[in-house]
Amino acid sequence: MPEPRITIFDYGAGNLHSLAKAVASFGTAPVVETDPVRAVETDVLLLPGVGAFTPAAERLAPGRDVMQQALAGGLPCLGICLGMQLLLDGSDEGTGSGLGVIPGWVTRIDAERLPQIGWNSLEDAIDPLLAESGLDTVYYANSFICRPDKRSHVTSWSTHGGDRFAGSVRRGRTVGVQFHPEKSSSAGVAFIHAFLREMLT
Amino acid sequence: MLTRRLIVCLDVKGGRVVKGVNFESLRDVGDPVALAERYEREGADEIVYLDISASAEERATLLDLARRTAERLFIPLTIGGGIRTADDVARALRAGADKVSLNTSAVERPEVLAEASHRFGAQCVVASIDAALVDGAYRVFVKGGKVPTGLEAVAWARECERQGAGEILLTSIDRDGVRGGYDLALTRAISEAVHVPVIASGGAGTSAHVVEAFDAGGADAALVAGILHDGVATVAELKSAMKRAGVPVRETAGVAA
Repeated sequence: MPEPRITIFDYGAGNLHSLAKAVASFGTAPVVETDPVRAVETDVLLLPGVGAFTPAAERLAPGRDVMQQALAGGLPCLGICLGMQLLLDGSDEGTGSGLGVIPGWVTRIDAERLPQIGWNSLEDAIDPLLAESGLDTVYYANSFICRPDKRSHVTSWSTHGGDRFAGSVRRGRTVGVQFHPEKSSSAGVAFIHAFLREMLT
Repeated sequence: MLTRRLIVCLDVKGGRVVKGVNFESLRDVGDPVALAERYEREGADEIVYLDISASAEERATLLDLARRTAERLFIPLTIGGGIRTADDVARALRAGADKVSLNTSAVERPEVLAEASHRFGAQCVVASIDAALVDGAYRVFVKGGKVPTGLEAVAWARECERQGAGEILLTSIDRDGVRGGYDLALTRAISEAVHVPVIASGGAGTSAHVVEAFDAGGADAALVAGILHDGVATVAELKSAMKRAGVPVRETAGVAA
């Protein structure tokens, strides 16, 4: 098999270095692509996770339908933090449409102290990638979280303040994580590798 | 449950970690990337680089340093020192920082917090506040804690939150480097006044001091520097003390009850 193509869709702000390095240490240097239409010409699509919903949705908009069809057609995708939120229909944070691959809405966390910044535990984790990588405590930096319509799409949970929310989701080959695996130390990097291994072999 | 964080701070000058004695006679203590990696292995929850360079020439190395670090470090990295505009924040994030702290520039123009927060999200904007007790009131100082501003610390922390800061790094000038414990009254006053997380800084000398920052101070994170660099304590010892005291911690190597 020729070397797989792994693409990070770069929609503006944020540190992509740690994610790129975590991917590269799997054996394939990722391509960073700012055009959402060209971003889906890949074997694996990564939606990174720093910024605000509205500007990200604006950058996604010209390629939204193409990306939605690619994911529905089975293109493996990992959405991280804001990248996970873009998998849903939309967000209370601002205007703009998400991909709607995971039906649901993004809302603010119901907690006294926001943003949620720090390490939190994953509960009731059922995605085998989490067990395989030993990832049970993860780094969050967010004020908004995903509320999928179907509980069956949720593959782990976390709690902040009085609010229990989806730590991760999955629908087929589309995986979303609200936390930052690229900032969750060695187990987080192992999770990214486990995802790539599942999707590329 | 969200755990309480132990954050390790490295003072950087000209791209190297330095250590001062009484704010003078700085000496080179190593490569920031190697030290940051070591502290990640030892269980630190985050790393902060504070650039104390005096000149623009020395400071030019900071972004290169962030880039080299982000390729090796897989826990969050905050950089501070000399960041003045939202474009500076953009460059720092692109270089590899996860969060950026602003201090003097925020006092001079508070809107920079709002501008950075709107572009990149509150979670990467850290308002750094240096405060000292003056005639019974906590006052804010800038330019490395040397220049008084007249601002009252609690009011200024509230204003930073209102502008869009997602976190407050609160350093007690009185306690910094003294190792007699954090200023718990200051920490408590600020953490009760704002809804964003507060990082206590300045004064850690023992593991008991770190525990106090959370218990009596109400902090969400504690920043430590000298006691780790000098080998007075280890990350595992500090986190073990937190755990024994009932402070929730991320379990890492050597953290024992």
